[in-house]
Amino acid sequence: MTVLPSTRIYEGTRIPHPVPTILEVDPEKHRLEDILRVNFGPNHPSTHGVLRLIVDLDGENVAGIRAVIGYLHTGFEKNMEAKSWWKSVTYAPRIDYVSFHANELLYVLAIEKLLGLEIPRRAVWARMALAELNRIHSHLVWLGTSALELGAISLFWYSFDDRDQILDLFELAGGTRMHTRYVQVGGLAEDLPPNFTEEARKFCESMPRSVDEYEAILSRNTIWLERTKGIGLLSADDALALGQSGPMLRASGVDWDLRRNLPYLAYDEVDFDVPVYPNGDVYDRYKVHMDEMRQSVRLVRQCLDRLDEMDGEPWITDDRKVVLPPRHELHTSMESLIHHFKIVTEGFRVPEGEVYVAIESPRGEAGCYLVSDGGARPWRVKFRAPSFAALQATATVVQGCLIADLIAAAGSLDPVMGDADR
Amino acid sequence: MSAYAGVPGVVETREALDEATLVVDPARLVEACTALRDEHGFNFLSDIAAADYLGWGEQELAGYIGTAGGRDLNVPGSRGYARVPDPKPKRFSVSYQLLRVGDEPARLRVQVWLDDGEAVPSVIQVWPAADWFEREAWDMMGIRCEGHANLVRILMPDDWEGHPLRKDYPLGGEPVRFSGED
Amino acid sequence: MSDRPLAKAGLQSERVLWPDRGPGVFEREVAEIEDALLLTTVEKAVAWARSGSVWPDTFGLACCAIEMMSIVSSRYDIARFGMERFSSSPRQADLLIISGRVAHKMALPLRQVYDQMLEPKWVIAMGACASSGGMFNNYTVLQGVDKIVPVDIHVPGCPPRPEALMEGIVRLHEKIRAGVPPAYAIRGVAE
Repeated sequence: MTVLPSTRIYEGTRIPHPVPTILEVDPEKHRLEDILRVNFGPNHPSTHGVLRLIVDLDGENVAGIRAVIGYLHTGFEKNMEAKSWWKSVTYAPRIDYVSFHANELLYVLAIEKLLGLEIPRRAVWARMALAELNRIHSHLVWLGTSALELGAISLFWYSFDDRDQILDLFELAGGTRMHTRYVQVGGLAEDLPPNFTEEARKFCESMPRSVDEYEAILSRNTIWLERTKGIGLLSADDALALGQSGPMLRASGVDWDLRRNLPYLAYDEVDFDVPVYPNGDVYDRYKVHMDEMRQSVRLVRQCLDRLDEMDGEPWITDDRKVVLPPRHELHTSMESLIHHFKIVTEGFRVPEGEVYVAIESPRGEAGCYLVSDGGARPWRVKFRAPSFAALQATATVVQGCLIADLIAAAGSLDPVMGDADR
Repeated sequence: MSAYAGVPGVVETREALDEATLVVDPARLVEACTALRDEHGFNFLSDIAAADYLGWGEQELAGYIGTAGGRDLNVPGSRGYARVPDPKPKRFSVSYQLLRVGDEPARLRVQVWLDDGEAVPSVIQVWPAADWFEREAWDMMGIRCEGHANLVRILMPDDWEGHPLRKDYPLGGEPVRFSGED
Repeated sequence: MSDRPLAKAGLQSERVLWPDRGPGVFEREVAEIEDALLLTTVEKAVAWARSGSVWPDTFGLACCAIEMMSIVSSRYDIARFGMERFSSSPRQADLLIISGRVAHKMALPLRQVYDQMLEPKWVIAMGACASSGGMFNNYTVLQGVDKIVPVDIHVPGCPPRPEALMEGIVRLHEKIRAGVPPAYAIRGVAE
């Protein structure tokens, strides 16, 4: 008989053994005749998408759980291998469909790292502004849907109203509300419209007041506190061992944020705080999300100030081997015409190599492992999905919960199934 | 790179684009990962990415390379500026992306090379986060991880046959029909 | 045309947009169907009542689900049609808005949910992925949900704006009021 290796990696870990992601019923604590196996199937009232939880219940206590995913597997990675580099960028935002700018940005940063391209400053700061607006968008969706699941239904309408304002800003810049495909290899697809900074500033004026309203509704509400304090506990060591990142990790007391510790874009030139809370329960994750919204507004303001200074600068690099030349040049320059033709028909080619780029998406560390063979199409694209890692913590987080707490804890992991299943 | 000299089982070290890669002998993978976690502080496993290199270097690669610079037709066998890429040692590579969360952040990639049918020891006892990543490697690429207690399909339906992300597995789908055509 | 009872109902989408134009293609086709079916007054009253509170089922799958949640929000209010009561139980739902890509693994639960709904029931395939597989022509995405459930209305877009989904819903209401039977009665599934 093969001896399975022990996953009890340190004393006091609550990670289940032998499979870290399956909580088995403990026969000493529950009588096996009392166990009822319930299927929270792929279609369920919770708004987190097609997650299936097979839960063993002893009365209302959760005795065992396993998560089954794959109901939204779309084959992104295989599809992207079949398309040229330019066309494959369209697939990226649909992976984590709530933080679409983050995914686009991630993939494009990976391609640009392989190419060794230098991006003009205006594009860098515009990308940062959009990424932070997307963070606020994602946290608003999380807040609205989590509150809806726990019974604070009216918050859904408040948060979605603010979210519509952010989507208006995305529409102003990128042309459509979601999946704008505005981030392009080399910079941005087009310049920001002239009234973008003004409209975005109006949003930044109203957003902190909205966050104050949400906190006024929830933070000292007895029902919210009863339902979230002490629920879904995850210690710092367990969180690191399970590969958690983002708000999950920061709510467990680990001071880690990729924007500050391993900065990308221009995050080392801006001022922001990273909220860290010690308890590792659902309430602390909620507090981390609220504080991050405020910090993102602060970041967006700084980006807008810098963007105003850079008005009129180029928004895309002028390396003609990768980026289309401006149309007016096609009438006068032969080289531009040839570049245009080659890029549109064959596509640009990316030098051979492999790279792993990670950014701080609203859910945690989102990474892209990219292998290129020097050709016009990607050889292997692998996305490290933060929701995939977050769902691995389900078995650890729901120990000792009742069914209602299970909803709160599973919601606080912030899974987006498109991200988890890819 | 000399910082990782003490890690057992390292066959080769590479550094490119500011990223360090340690190629490790598959039989000693768990030892190497344990040493990296305990002595070098890599306490976070970001990702396990499997890649299939069947058909590497067989595509026509000459032409328009995406870097500033030109073509060099004078170097024989290079087919212009785009050389045929170096052949890979074996068919599959499994890359473990590691991260040191703490005061001195650092990233590292540990890579093993496998042929079709070879298995790799599971690192689930070093980082429990490896659980679903290894299941995905099995489901999508057919790479078996020895010592994993629950190596079943995760993304595809349980009765699916074949490993979709392999290069010899077809993309699938339907041919697109156009109206006006019969 | 303007003496048609449906035309007087005031919800003609093209008429709202271009008030000076005559009836549009959809309006004409629906009027022809109305003529052909010769509904009685009772049937028309029942159809009007049914279209007034079509309760959707929470079948949000992917990106389109986020836009579907947007029409519940206050800007694109769906409560004005009586449809804000999304029911999680298919037994109490009338409309299945399939919003998002359907993987082969999800196809069985989708058919089970559709079968559990009570008649009359309608299906809106929202977005490119539900209508035809969208940009994902591969081994795992079902190339159009009309392969497994009969679909009444397809809404194009990736994702469709909330207004586009609203247009789809309004046209569904018009079809119901005209007496067009739901899709399971007039067509089967595609090949």
